[in-house]
Amino acid sequence: MRAWWSKVCAALTGRRDLVDDLNAEIAAQLEFEIEANLARGVPPDEARAAAHRRIGNLTRIQERAREAWSFPSLETIAQDLRYGLRGLRRSPGFSLVVVLTLALGIGANTAIFSVVNSVLLRPLPYPAADRLVWLGESDPKAEGISVTWVNYQHWRNENHSFEEMAGFHTTHLTLTGRGEALLTRAGTVTSGFFGLLGAKPLLGRVFGEADDRPGAPLTAVLDYRFWVDKLGANANVVGSTLALNGQPYEVLGVLPPEFRFFEQSIDFYLPLHRMQGDILDRGGHGSMRLLARLKPGVTLLSAVADLDGIMRRLAEVDPGPESQHRAYGVFLSEYRTHDVRPTLLVLLAAVGLVLIIACANVASLLLARGTARSREIAIRTAIGAGRVRLARQLLTENLLLAGLGGIAGGLLAQWGARVLIATGPRDIPRIAETTFDWRVLLFAAAITLLTGLFTGLAPVLTAGRPDLVSALKDSSRSATGRGGQASRSAMVVAEIAITLVLAFAAALLMRNLIAAQTGNPGFDPEHVLALELVLPSSSYRSQQAIQNFHDRLRQDLRALPGVTAVGAVNCPPSAGDCGDWFYSILDQPAPQPGEVPISLFNTADRDYFGAMRIPLREGRPFAENERPSVAIVNETFARKWWPKTSAVGHRIKSGGPYRNGPIYEIVGVVGDVGQMGLGTEPYPEIYLPFSQSQSEAVVVMIRSAGDPQSLVSAVRGRVAAIDRNLPIQSLRPFAQTVVASLAQRRFSTVLLALFAALAMVLAAVGIYGLLSYWVRIREHEIAIRMALGAPRPVILRWAGWQALRLSLIGAGIGILAAWAASRWLEDLVFGVSARNYTTLAAATVAVIGVAMTAAAIPIWRATEVDAVDKLHRA
Amino acid sequence: MSTVDDPRERLEFLQGTLEVLILRCLQSRPNHAYGITQFLEQQSGDEFLVDNGSLYPALQRLLQRTWIAAQWKTSPNGRRARYYRLTPAGRKQLVVATSKWQRFVEAMGRVLAPEG
Repeated sequence: MRAWWSKVCAALTGRRDLVDDLNAEIAAQLEFEIEANLARGVPPDEARAAAHRRIGNLTRIQERAREAWSFPSLETIAQDLRYGLRGLRRSPGFSLVVVLTLALGIGANTAIFSVVNSVLLRPLPYPAADRLVWLGESDPKAEGISVTWVNYQHWRNENHSFEEMAGFHTTHLTLTGRGEALLTRAGTVTSGFFGLLGAKPLLGRVFGEADDRPGAPLTAVLDYRFWVDKLGANANVVGSTLALNGQPYEVLGVLPPEFRFFEQSIDFYLPLHRMQGDILDRGGHGSMRLLARLKPGVTLLSAVADLDGIMRRLAEVDPGPESQHRAYGVFLSEYRTHDVRPTLLVLLAAVGLVLIIACANVASLLLARGTARSREIAIRTAIGAGRVRLARQLLTENLLLAGLGGIAGGLLAQWGARVLIATGPRDIPRIAETTFDWRVLLFAAAITLLTGLFTGLAPVLTAGRPDLVSALKDSSRSATGRGGQASRSAMVVAEIAITLVLAFAAALLMRNLIAAQTGNPGFDPEHVLALELVLPSSSYRSQQAIQNFHDRLRQDLRALPGVTAVGAVNCPPSAGDCGDWFYSILDQPAPQPGEVPISLFNTADRDYFGAMRIPLREGRPFAENERPSVAIVNETFARKWWPKTSAVGHRIKSGGPYRNGPIYEIVGVVGDVGQMGLGTEPYPEIYLPFSQSQSEAVVVMIRSAGDPQSLVSAVRGRVAAIDRNLPIQSLRPFAQTVVASLAQRRFSTVLLALFAALAMVLAAVGIYGLLSYWVRIREHEIAIRMALGAPRPVILRWAGWQALRLSLIGAGIGILAAWAASRWLEDLVFGVSARNYTTLAAATVAVIGVAMTAAAIPIWRATEVDAVDKLHRA
Repeated sequence: MSTVDDPRERLEFLQGTLEVLILRCLQSRPNHAYGITQFLEQQSGDEFLVDNGSLYPALQRLLQRTWIAAQWKTSPNGRRARYYRLTPAGRKQLVVATSKWQRFVEAMGRVLAPEG
């Protein structure tokens, strides 16, 4: 402490006195030494010389004595920085390459991280969001099933784990009376919903307990965007009414602009009343899920166990087909990001690997420069620079380079993140909210520092013990060459290995995407115009009304010129899970209550399969006015139960053996279509005839002889002619929808391919640099060999073998790593095995090819060494 | 640096030992840098070689801790030199350090002594 204080005083009062004192003192000592030597009878000249030798290196003494009085870190860092900047200016080309390489690596990482941060890391914008939980029911076969109203009441009233619980689902309603009829999307929620999400109304009020009661007046709370866009931000909106599905709803309030819960945009919120007839039926499922907040300190596991206890008690009191049902809970933040998490993590890992390659390249460059600078370092050592001091200076220089790279990378990342947001798929939640907050800045700073240390340490370690004599004597021969060469070779091997992993991953995803795009999807999306309609239940109250509408629509559309077929379906291919349900096969043994199988249920009309060119494998398609109780199943379904025999004629019971449900006879088998998305694993599916169970939501597939786009206005006209108030949900060529459904996969594939390409370029630069250097320091050796009669092919083989050896070792390690990493890629290739030999072989060939191409120039240069000239000069 | 013309390998100072030796040297009387060098080399039977690159920083450190004080004076043979003397704190430190070093040396001796 006292020493520290005296340093402060010294720093404040200036150190000139100290230096003067020291110089005078040393001068005095010199005189003492000379005197002593003379006294021993040494001749005067020699006495003086011996005294000087005895005193030693004056500068070093001064420097070290001064260090005792100073804060060495701060002062020498400033000095090192000055040296460093001078060094950067001296070789601007080198500095530029290093800074650019690092900027690319750091920028790409920061950009991807900023997306990961926004989508996965940043807490959801709700109070105590880390305790918000998404709840559903589960049975042994499925998780996240909708919660029935009865169960919700029991859970809400009897649990000990949650502060608050609310139910929600979404629905479509038609808004009329304000110009053109408009299909709107409503969030149907119980009153606790807004409190859970901390939403305070901008105008008016949100729902209270009273709005939950059966028979409460019809009310609505408006979303901000809907209020601004559709109602002109009318300040007097509270108290007015909206005509939804023909019924008046009183507007209670308007939500603030930042409020958002559902992934789709919502126009307004309606109170969620219990559904009719559900009050006693524990199995009456709708599509309600629950949002709940855990009490502080309660774990999700114990909370779900708490609800499970309630479910077990209910099963005893009121046994039924759902006695096996339990609760399913997942944190809201995880529920939201479940689909994109693996993709983003793989991308983050990939871009991290690119950074490692960039680091290796920069370290390699610095090593090479360290060799070139060995003379400078030797001189510095000779005039008294300590090892530690030199190492610190080299490290400072490298950190300075990394810092510049980091700053450039930060700018690059800002731009990159904007591109990612603009081109990224819309269905990644919260991707649009990507900003550079403190987490991103901290991340960028951390990787910059790590990069600086990583790239800086290798040259520092090899520069640690320069061989003074040889370095000073001969600047062309490196003093640190061998050690540096070995570490640079290791880095090139690592680069090749990493590049191979990235190339494999990118190739795998690309192959998968191409297969999804070009493979047979089970239907023909070309020349098909898809018309999506939702019939409002207010104007289409009866099955007959719906049936009449569809009959007329199909008839009218079929009459359009250029239309070759018109078919309707409830859930088109790639639309995802539009509804699955339990079933059993009547002539098979009944499954255990927990083992009841599940299938997708879809509805289609007579011409759907024909219009979509989905092949009929067995039996017959639906007939016009199909008799009830028939079904068509897909191939996967048929193979699952009757792998050897025909499925036609067997009977299916909907709901399984333990629930009430209709029985259907299988009349036909059709080919599989990727219901969950192109190229996905097929799933058992049951089609029911449209005439049996009319659905309000329908997609009409219109196959045309020519460009489907040309039919758009004619189709619009026909729909309006039948029902002027019917909003068209969407009308576009189905091929476009199919392509759009691949957006997320295309996004990750393009990014991975980009990273792999970047890695290849960097690795190519790396091996090029290494081999050029290898050739340069061996020019002598090559010249001698040539002079001794070694023909060019021998030199070529010798140099080529160097490159090939590194490539092969790198590729070997890369193959093992790629194989190990393939497990992480399974999530990204949708059920297709990631262990694909062809892809791995292709990636290996490509990477070795790139490496050898990059090596070709230096190898060729080795054979061009002019032996005579070289030896002459030596 | 100055070992170049001395064929015999001399002992290097262990970390912190030079400071104690300087304190010991100044115990009897104040002395200047050259005098301290001479004293240490003679007393050690020329086993120690005092390097100026170590001596001056050591003196600075002792000054900082106020264990010694410095003053310019004229030497008996008429030269001006910077004389260092022990302060009371330095005297105390010497006692502490001496006993610590003796214990250290004894312990080293016991460990290194041939068995039996």
